[in-house]
Amino acid sequence: MSFSTQVAGAAGETGSSPSPRRLAARARAALRRAEVFRWLGGASALIPVLALGFILVVLLVEAFPAIRINGLHFFYKSVWNEGASYNAQIVRTGGVEHLSGAYYGALPEIAGTLLTSLIALIIAVPVSIGAALVIVERLPRRVASVIGVFLELLAGIPSVIVGLWGALTFGPFIAHHITPVIARNMPDVPVLSYFRGAPGNGEGLLTSGLVLSIMIIPIVASTTRDLVRQVPILPREGAIALGMSDAQCARRVTLPWVGAGIVGAVVLGLGRALGETMAVAMTCGVQLTAVPGNIYTTMTTIAATIFQYLDTAFLDGTGFAVRTVAELALVLMVITLAVNIAARWLVRKVSGTALPVGRGV
Amino acid sequence: MSTQADPAQPAEAAGPVGGRADQAVVTAPHAATDGQVALTATGLTLGFGTRTILSDVCVDVRRGAVTALIGPTGSGKTTLLRTFNRMNDKVGGYHRKGDVLLDGRSIWHPGVEVMELRRRIGMLFQRPNPFPMSIMDNVAAGARAHRLVSKAGMKDVAERYLTAVGLWGAVKDRLKDSPFRLSGGQQQLLCLARALAVKPEVLLLDEPTSSLDPGATQAIEELVRTLAPDITVIIVTHNLAQALRVADRTIFLNQGRMVENGETRQLFEHPAEEETAQYVAGRFG
Ligand SMILES: Nc1ncnc2c1ncn2[C@@H]1O[C@H](COP(=O)(O)OP(=O)(O)OP(=O)(O)O)[C@@H](O)[C@H]1O
Ligand SMILES: [Mg+2]
Repeated sequence: MSFSTQVAGAAGETGSSPSPRRLAARARAALRRAEVFRWLGGASALIPVLALGFILVVLLVEAFPAIRINGLHFFYKSVWNEGASYNAQIVRTGGVEHLSGAYYGALPEIAGTLLTSLIALIIAVPVSIGAALVIVERLPRRVASVIGVFLELLAGIPSVIVGLWGALTFGPFIAHHITPVIARNMPDVPVLSYFRGAPGNGEGLLTSGLVLSIMIIPIVASTTRDLVRQVPILPREGAIALGMSDAQCARRVTLPWVGAGIVGAVVLGLGRALGETMAVAMTCGVQLTAVPGNIYTTMTTIAATIFQYLDTAFLDGTGFAVRTVAELALVLMVITLAVNIAARWLVRKVSGTALPVGRGV
Repeated sequence: MSTQADPAQPAEAAGPVGGRADQAVVTAPHAATDGQVALTATGLTLGFGTRTILSDVCVDVRRGAVTALIGPTGSGKTTLLRTFNRMNDKVGGYHRKGDVLLDGRSIWHPGVEVMELRRRIGMLFQRPNPFPMSIMDNVAAGARAHRLVSKAGMKDVAERYLTAVGLWGAVKDRLKDSPFRLSGGQQQLLCLARALAVKPEVLLLDEPTSSLDPGATQAIEELVRTLAPDITVIIVTHNLAQALRVADRTIFLNQGRMVENGETRQLFEHPAEEETAQYVAGRFG
């Protein structure tokens, strides 16, 4: 709005010497041009909003029959049954066709998604922040830039390759050499007892979580490194001059200075972890109907299930299985959006306390 | 570039970084015995890479006095000041000969813990540098780091030191606010409160008022006067009138050499050296 009036006003001001009519025409043209830009700008700003709305609406429409039939037990039951597939008996419930005995409860998928991402974050966040601090504050510049290149290369490795490595090498390795020791020695107290029990064969929750953490560390670390680099020297020297240790300086000055940005970086990584499909599908061991009982057991996530189950779902002639897959996708979408909104809120809280005006992220 | 050691203080001045401190204590001219001296530099030669910034600087800083450090730009005032609390130690290419003694003991003595040294020798920078935390946390940050105060005692500490710098009235209702919404002068006072809260013995001020208006400058100057004699103050300034106003003693540094060190009035009115006379008369620098 203000843009177009400004342009018109400016054209009007200079319009005292040459012919007033020509100037008026020029002003109108400028106005039109400004108008065009305004519309173009507005339209392109709307694209993400529209795209997101479109995806949500399509998913909702596609999933709606499944939402009605599956009901609330979709969120707390651990079942995955598309119903009688031989001599298919088609049943109609509330106007929605499905195979008789079709029953879906996605608790294992939802729990698996949250648990793998949690493991990935618990490992990736401290490692990434530590790596960023070391790269910026400790390493000679040349070494730091070499490591930076490797971080970016690591971030670019296709997830199917990471998944293959996880399934063939990394998973079996920890299952043979590391997890048995942990499983045997972990005390039987709440939380830690989750680390006890059969160490499995290397496909399962822990392997998937670790593989995910390896995939998000480069993203979080390189973003955090760029942020830490921006922290001015003056407040950091202030902390050192006050007799704070390097660790205190990092914790109380350097990291809070870019705290909002680091939250953003972590959310970026979390988004990737929540939605990562291939690497998890290859390392999770595919367990659709049970919430993992310990950290080594086989499991699945929403994304992995959507990918692995879709072929089977298409075999359901009533289309109900596909609609259930759409409902799964909708749940993943809502989880991802909720995480983003929570992060935004956190960012506002973090930057609200203290960042200098115009310096925050 | 005179990197030659002063013949008057031969062996210990050439000692390697960090070592020879006991010897330095023995051979330091009078610091160890004279309670009047808080800080001594003996034959301090210092540089970065191939450059020598300070050549054979020998100064005594009197305890409980305000000492001004004056000299033309690039003469090494900041470098000398930062050396006193070892802020230069990690700068690339840093090399040093000679020693600095705090209460007669080398600040590079292996038994000296650098963080404790920096608690004892505080510093205020040319521009205010609050931390990204609330005003109250800012004041207590150093004290917390040195475990001088419990979490519960933070508010008391904040009140005591904000009152000491005359900022309490202005900020008492917004202790939880960001310090970056304070004016530049208020931010500098906040940094001073933060430095005082760790109970330093020596305070190094590097042109603390150069980014402030006259009112805020006056506030800081008055405060500096009240800090002595509990705290030994060294203040770098380009403003000779400021040196005259606040400093008991003045050190004149030129091109990395200590030219003159004396009572402020004496140095300004009857300088012993021709260079000093020219500088205070405004003829160079
Ligand atoms: N880290 C460094 N590496 C190399 N040279 C440096 C470094 N720090 C300072 N110098 C040089 O040391 C000399 C003295 O600098 P210093 O900052 O101590 O001067 P100063 O007296 O404080 O000057 P000013 O009054 O302008 O603040 C300058 O020539 C400067 O270029
Ligand atoms: Mg300086």
